Amino acid sequence: MKRIAPVLVAVAVAALLIVYAPPISVQGGESASTILASPILVSPIFGLTIPAGYRDWKLISVGRIGGSTNDLRAKLGNDVAVKAYREGTLPFPDGAIIARLAWHEVTSEENDMALGDVRSFVTGGATNLEFMVKDSKKYAATGGWGFAQFTGGKPDSEALHKTCFPCHEPAKASDYIFTRYAP
Amino acid sequence: MKRVAFLLVAVVTIAGVAVYVVTPSGHAAEEASPIYGVTIPPGYRDWKLIAVSEIATGDKSQLRAEFGNDIAIKAYKEGTLPFPDGAIVVAQHWMKESSPGNDQVLAMAPMVAGLDNPKSFVPGSRVNAQFMVKDSTKYAATGGWGFADFKDGKPGDEALHKACFPCHAPAKDHDYVYTRYVP
Repeated sequence: MKRIAPVLVAVAVAALLIVYAPPISVQGGESASTILASPILVSPIFGLTIPAGYRDWKLISVGRIGGSTNDLRAKLGNDVAVKAYREGTLPFPDGAIIARLAWHEVTSEENDMALGDVRSFVTGGATNLEFMVKDSKKYAATGGWGFAQFTGGKPDSEALHKTCFPCHEPAKASDYIFTRYAP
Repeated sequence: MKRVAFLLVAVVTIAGVAVYVVTPSGHAAEEASPIYGVTIPPGYRDWKLIAVSEIATGDKSQLRAEFGNDIAIKAYKEGTLPFPDGAIVVAQHWMKESSPGNDQVLAMAPMVAGLDNPKSFVPGSRVNAQFMVKDSTKYAATGGWGFADFKDGKPGDEALHKACFPCHAPAKDHDYVYTRYVP
């Protein structure tokens, strides 16, 4: 029996690892650090996890929000989303995912020294991370999009997620997406 | 004879069309940067994102994205310095424009309630694209990097390219590259 116990534990651990692995290795190609950083936690209402490997997706555009928000942003898309952008396909097809990364904007003394009169701004720490996932059936009530916002790897509150769709509604003509593809 | 002449005209026309079609699709910008002879690497807009940034001079600003080919991204992620031969880093610059449409939405958005003056900025027209190509043998005199600055697909002049390396020299500790990878 003593021999069986460790085997059972090993099997249980292996089974857990297998359960843990598939949802985050779907996209493939991500580094080990990405896997470890991907939480199992899901967004309220929409049930979304952080898609694996999103940091390596193609760039849709960059952006900035001024005022007290004071951030720099990057919008990345998976292959389905980027293809739709380039071909002008609207609505976005099922499977499209758009990631919005944002960081505090900070000054760069090192860059300013090299640039003279030019002021350089770079990114500090991340603020939060947002995703829109297209599934026209599952998310029929919210324009076909599921929404998620993560701060420090953890999904934000249900109250916050209730504000996603109403805020995106004015962009109905472009399938609820504000971001345009940067030339 | 008339039939032969017609055929000849047709053949010449087709050949002309073929030459016209093949040339632009082969390498759109065959023009190389002065001093370094660097051409625009095909497909760089789809490369992985290193970072985003902003530059301001007077009342004009740019939003910027830095991309890397796979060799550069791998070196960034693994902290490899100096960058290995074959690494290419791109800085794509756009004019920073305000987005009145986004501002309207932000003013109503419940999630930004309490935030002071959240103004949206997006990329406008392209300004220029800059490339750094690592070849420690070919570019030994300039830290192993070849430089290029293109505007609308055309390389800048020799005077401009003479300014590249001196401006990057202060970043010697980071192999002459200012941009850091943003996680």
